Amino acid sequence: MAATLQLFTRALQTPDLSFRTLSEARAITDARGLPRLMRTTRFAEAEIEWHGKHWLLALPLSPAVLFAVERQLLQIGRLRTEWLAECRLLRDELSWVGPTGAPQRCDLVLQLLPDGTDLDGALGKEHSERLLGALDALQRELRRLNLSHGNLRRDNLRWSGSRFIPIRYYDLRFGMPERDDEAFDTLREEILRQGGGAEVSDVEAPYDTPCRWSGHRWTSNLFEGLVCVEDETGYGYVDAENRPVIAPQYLWAGDFHEGRAEVQTAQGMGLIDREGRYIIPPEYEIVAYVPAESISRVRQNGRWALFDYLGRRITPFVEDGERLGVWEEA
Amino acid sequence: MYTQSITRTHRTAFILLIDGSGSMSERIHYGGCAMTKSEAVTEITNGLLFELIERARRNDGIRDYYDIAVLGYSGDDEVYSLLPGGRTMIPVTELAALEPRMVRRTIECLQPDGNIALREVSTPVWVEAEAAGQTPMCEALRQARDLAAAWCAHPAHAESFPPTIFNITDGEATDCTDDDLIATSEQIKALGTADGAVLLVNIHITADETSRTVFFPSEEETNLPNRYASTLFHCASIMPEVFDDAIREIKGPGAIPPFRGMSYNASADELIAMLNIGSISVKTE
Repeated sequence: MAATLQLFTRALQTPDLSFRTLSEARAITDARGLPRLMRTTRFAEAEIEWHGKHWLLALPLSPAVLFAVERQLLQIGRLRTEWLAECRLLRDELSWVGPTGAPQRCDLVLQLLPDGTDLDGALGKEHSERLLGALDALQRELRRLNLSHGNLRRDNLRWSGSRFIPIRYYDLRFGMPERDDEAFDTLREEILRQGGGAEVSDVEAPYDTPCRWSGHRWTSNLFEGLVCVEDETGYGYVDAENRPVIAPQYLWAGDFHEGRAEVQTAQGMGLIDREGRYIIPPEYEIVAYVPAESISRVRQNGRWALFDYLGRRITPFVEDGERLGVWEEA
Repeated sequence: MYTQSITRTHRTAFILLIDGSGSMSERIHYGGCAMTKSEAVTEITNGLLFELIERARRNDGIRDYYDIAVLGYSGDDEVYSLLPGGRTMIPVTELAALEPRMVRRTIECLQPDGNIALREVSTPVWVEAEAAGQTPMCEALRQARDLAAAWCAHPAHAESFPPTIFNITDGEATDCTDDDLIATSEQIKALGTADGAVLLVNIHITADETSRTVFFPSEEETNLPNRYASTLFHCASIMPEVFDDAIREIKGPGAIPPFRGMSYNASADELIAMLNIGSISVKTE
């Protein structure tokens, strides 16, 4: 269950009694002595000091928001790059006694805040050309990694050493790096406007985002002829001409790769084919399909197993996901 | 029903009714700590206000997702606003702009091994409950009814998530019979918007030696410890189905809906955590 913000604030003041891993953490407080909370739509965050470093500790405002984030964190934990900051899920990290007197626990997300400063700080001490070059380098690296941040704005960038490190990976997605293009352009304009060190280009290039799949609350991009869309009744898929293929019905759905897509239902995560048939029934905590290996990493009751392309379990469920090549937090 | 996201274009309202009668000076155990009922009410009220303010916070500041009223009832059948300047209802941004008094409080934390550990924490206090005089709960509910009716009648609120009324009390109304109280509650629950009827949640604080707590009880849990609790149970809203899963998650999988909007010697700020405040989708930021 999701904790209240009052409880999160109290836990930050009593870490030794409230946190499992972060018992020695110290929250950064405001002038009133209260932990300083920050908010996104789906998380409440607090900055903490722990083991000599600064971190963002994020409380999900609803258990459902972790479904999508957890899978992405699993995948980025396997990447070998210096352009992303450490980010991990701490399972059952926060514990408290609920209103019925029963013990309660919930997961938290821990994100390293790289040493350095935010974009405003960088603008105050670096030449614009250097910052623009660093933005270009970050964009190239995200393209190389074939991922998009999904919410790249000034609050979500740290200037560390000589590079920009993005933080807050709640909207990160694999397979569509062009999704960040508009955000990069906006950041470049902000640097040019505020930096003062570089010449401002007088060429205005209107950014034209063709909206081919209109009428939906949210759309992904075309993958294997299908577009994941979100409508009032949930996530589903349309074809390139915006015709319904798989009716909106899922709490969350991923893009198709090799004819497979992960979906989240109220009963759990599963894997579907292009007709919407379940290859892996929606009854698991996590189903992470790996196109390069044509297998799925599946978690049930905290234990991991591998399933093949046809949805057949090929290993037993084991406690130690590392044995199966599944990334887990330290 | 009860599915409208709470946003700046679809605001909602919260009305808190605070019992400040003389009976609130009685000492009780609440949250593992010895305190007076009025101290417990103060803690619950300010906890609700903290939750409401922080749920409305974004990186660009507090957003006007709802209006808030805080009415006290006590003394010589008096019902009065506890907000600055005696204003009846203010947007959450105005409440957040106030400088609350900060108090350092020692709390008792139950550890997994059953031992109690003491810790000091800082807590903001916007309003403080009194403990004097009578308990004009029926008049307080009537004023809440009129506030909710006026709020719902505003065209801008026609499609909003309906107002939620929290009545925090020890349950001993002195200005009416139980039937009067239930009748006024029914009038409140008959109000609403296109998204649903007004929700009335009773938070009942008592001197129960068993340290028993009840949270959103179902019909099977009607063996409440006293007449006041039973009356408050019948006054409270039947919680909409949309909250069933979240309430069951807190109570345990064996809990059977429908649940009543009531808690007994426990807060109910978990209800605010269940509301869809400010978000339009799990996936969009």
